[in-house]
Amino acid sequence: MKNALHRMNPSVKFLAITICMFTMAFFFDPWTPLVFWAGVLVLQFFFSEINWKRWLLFMLPFFVTSFGYFWTTLVFAEDSSGSVVWSIWNLQITETQLNHALSLSFRVLAFSSLSLLFALTTNPVTFILSLMQQLRLSPKIAYGVMVGYQFLPVLKDEFVQIGQAHRLRGAGGEKNTLQRLLGVRRILIPMLAGAVRKAERAAFAMEARGFTGERRSSYFRVISMGKLDIALVSLFLFLLVLSCTHIWWLG
Amino acid sequence: MLKSWKLKEIVLMSLFAVVFGIVYLLFLHVGNIWAGFIGPIAYEWIFGIWFIVSIICMYIIRKPGAAVVSETIAAAIEVLLGNAVGPRLILSGIVQGLGAEAVFAATRYKRFDLWVLMLAGVGSSIFSFVYGYFLGGFSVYSTGYVALMLGIRILSGAMIAGIGGKAVADGLLATGSLRGYAISRSKKGEARA
Amino acid sequence: MHEVIHFDKVSFRYPDEEKWILEELSFTIQRGERVVITGPSGCGKTTLLYLCNRLYPDNCDGILLGSVKLFGKNSSSFIPGEINHRIATVFQDPDSQFCMQTVEEELAFTLENLHVKRDEMENRIRDVLALTDLTEFRYAVIQKLSGGQKQRIATACALIMKPEVLLLDEPLSHLDPFTAKKYVEWLDELQQKCAMTIVAIEHRLDLWGDFFERSISLNKNEMAPILIKRKSSKQKNDSLVVNKLQANTYLQETSFTLKRGEVAVLAGPNGSGKSTLLKALCELIPSSGSVESKLLGYVPQSPEFLFLTKNVRDEVGFGGGDNTEELLARLQLLPIADSHPFAVSHGQKRRVAIAAMLSDGREVILMDEPTSGQDAKALSELFQLIDERAREGTTFLIVTHDMEFAYCLADSILLMNDGRLTGQFNADIVWSDDHLLMDHNLLSPKEVILREKCFA
Ligand SMILES: Nc1ncnc2c1ncn2[C@@H]1O[C@H](COP(=O)(O)OP(=O)(O)OP(=O)(O)O)[C@@H](O)[C@H]1O
Ligand SMILES: Nc1ncnc2c1ncn2[C@@H]1O[C@H](COP(=O)(O)OP(=O)(O)OP(=O)(O)O)[C@@H](O)[C@H]1O
Ligand SMILES: [Mg+2]
Ligand SMILES: [Mg+2]
Repeated sequence: MKNALHRMNPSVKFLAITICMFTMAFFFDPWTPLVFWAGVLVLQFFFSEINWKRWLLFMLPFFVTSFGYFWTTLVFAEDSSGSVVWSIWNLQITETQLNHALSLSFRVLAFSSLSLLFALTTNPVTFILSLMQQLRLSPKIAYGVMVGYQFLPVLKDEFVQIGQAHRLRGAGGEKNTLQRLLGVRRILIPMLAGAVRKAERAAFAMEARGFTGERRSSYFRVISMGKLDIALVSLFLFLLVLSCTHIWWLG
Repeated sequence: MLKSWKLKEIVLMSLFAVVFGIVYLLFLHVGNIWAGFIGPIAYEWIFGIWFIVSIICMYIIRKPGAAVVSETIAAAIEVLLGNAVGPRLILSGIVQGLGAEAVFAATRYKRFDLWVLMLAGVGSSIFSFVYGYFLGGFSVYSTGYVALMLGIRILSGAMIAGIGGKAVADGLLATGSLRGYAISRSKKGEARA
Repeated sequence: MHEVIHFDKVSFRYPDEEKWILEELSFTIQRGERVVITGPSGCGKTTLLYLCNRLYPDNCDGILLGSVKLFGKNSSSFIPGEINHRIATVFQDPDSQFCMQTVEEELAFTLENLHVKRDEMENRIRDVLALTDLTEFRYAVIQKLSGGQKQRIATACALIMKPEVLLLDEPLSHLDPFTAKKYVEWLDELQQKCAMTIVAIEHRLDLWGDFFERSISLNKNEMAPILIKRKSSKQKNDSLVVNKLQANTYLQETSFTLKRGEVAVLAGPNGSGKSTLLKALCELIPSSGSVESKLLGYVPQSPEFLFLTKNVRDEVGFGGGDNTEELLARLQLLPIADSHPFAVSHGQKRRVAIAAMLSDGREVILMDEPTSGQDAKALSELFQLIDERAREGTTFLIVTHDMEFAYCLADSILLMNDGRLTGQFNADIVWSDDHLLMDHNLLSPKEVILREKCFA
């Protein structure tokens, strides 16, 4: 059970998460996103095997962002009705303002951890295959993306190699930072030029393997949907309803 | 629409998306840190960088759909790279791409001058702002602040995506590696005419 | 209808070039034939092959006159990828013919394209891997394999389609001599079993024995002088000292020394770590240990990533040498001097990289398979150039699978196996030691030795 979220169908997961986010966008009180955020953490705790240290590392910048949203909303909020709860210097902070500020910053946290949940429990290749098999994404696009994704490590190596090759040829070898920054432009263009060539080769290879872009009649790796997905979607929806209706049960 | 696309054009977009996906990711972190100090307006300055891929690809390929598809692929690749903004990004990608696409469609995919590219950047800015307004809950901010954000974003879209995108694509064209794409064909046509 | 490929007065040129690459070419290939296409490097063999599998003219905006018929139908009547269900291709550059990550995925991708049923896939993958003796590579990541391994994988990917026509673009050029010999024997058997039509491009027919029934020659092959064993120009002082070099878990501790003016050949089976060693020597991959030398030059197995400029002439002259024109002429690069280095043939790219390294006075030059894809004339010119430079004191370390070339050129031979340098030998010792040769998948260049005896 611990790896349920990892086994969940990626397309279904994608849709569930998207629905949750769009629904959340209609709420401007602090409790809805807070309850939802807590719920996401609980789900993640029970149904995934993620590395929490890594999670925290990814989450850190969003804590910072959330704080940014908090204070700018306080300062620049439109609606300043309600009783004043707080005043610093000549800034009067009303209850509505505080609520909005808290709401927006919790929203950032809820969205981020929801997204992280997806990122940390989904295998990219499975996701593309699933988009093609369940959501009927065109194979032309799906395999195009897949090829691009697989060139990622190659392009990363290339970044280093181009620099080395330039030095080998007697170009480059800049000492100070400014020259190096300008040198990046010298690497970006060859990298893109390399990407153009690789794209052409990869496309030739795909075509030579008989790829016409039409829909496939059978798959080597079948990505399935099942009871597990229904159960997890129900959980997500339950969580969503729970946090949206907190007014009734929180009082 | 997909029928008229060559496979090599789609793979090209996808590989550009990878290169810029890496760049985007870098900027996202920069943006996040800034956002902590100066709030959501931090992103506005650099927002144009997110539209650059759609403008470069459209400028090179010049077929209907190039802006939306490339921007969407770029977003998808970013998600695949493990970006914490996650699936939401794919939707942002579609919306941003549509903004640029709308401008190119309005010129019937015939004109690719600098001002069209800059307008396309502005298109992406406006579309993405409306979307962000909704998801980011900008409605709680005062009108002045929202207007300021929009203004900066439009500027950034026109400058970074429009001018920057053209500069990168022209630099690439000069290396001679874009043979066999629409951009080279048109350059030749202009030279002969 | 037994005509598989039919060209009628076909002319072809690339959009930006004035010159016609193919002119009024007509030929027919019948079902079940074994045909070889020959011609000097850069004469348009690969281009011709791309017309046969319909990649061109669609993908390059090329201008095509005349008619190309495949299986009796006009080639333009097929949609992209459709004809490739019946015609399989093995490309020339081992680095650029894959689209998936692992060997299994690549094979499965091909099967999906052919609409093979799912329960059949597993069997077909297993069978083709067994047939090509590549079972151990099933889950290997393609990008990490050696040049020769990739070329063999590419053949497996072509064969899994059970194609009616197999197009091969210099399939042996990166294989070690023993594997190459086995490859030909095995292809022979296979062709007899399933009656495929085989069309191959090849410069050097000696490895193929009497495999081909017929040849189509695109251009008159000029007679090239035969190679004659050179005299050593080795001097006293060291110019490359390698001490305990080690890299990426595969290359084990390596130490050796090369003298000034020495020409050393590095040989060994496919995947034994030759390219890895060269990359480590010029710090393209992280490594430990020490390499002492001045100004290294390097010609990689796939030279594209070295190119920095917009045309071949600038590329060769980039380092500031003053003999650019001479090198261009000698390596037959003058006709393409103004072309973009990426838009020339495979063999030409390699020669551009070689010329660039030879032009600016480097003291040690490492070459990774400079001989692959070269015609006899280019080979002999390359031989002369290396000989001259070695006399002037340049040190060479050359990876090659061409035993004849190695025999005539080498002062000493470094042998590798399984990521380990097994030894540095005096050249003459190696050629007469059958055990040593066999252990490293090498074959003795009998013909040359025989020729020499006659001369003596
Ligand atoms: N994409 C391209 N654009 C323009 N010219 C090209 C392109 N590719 C090849 N050429 C030119 O066309 C000619 C034929 O190239 P091709 O690759 O067919 O040669 P080849 O016979 O296969 O040579 P090799 O034996 O070296 O592989 C070469 O002179 C080359 O300069
Ligand atoms: N980037 C890499 N990461 C891990 N292993 C690698 C990498 N590159 C190569 N290898 C492994 O190292 C071994 C040696 O590869 P290398 O390319 O050096 O062989 P080679 O002797 O040049 O062979 P060939 O004659 O076929 O070119 C191969 O088995 C390959 O799988
Ligand atoms: Mg060729
Ligand atoms: Mg090698």
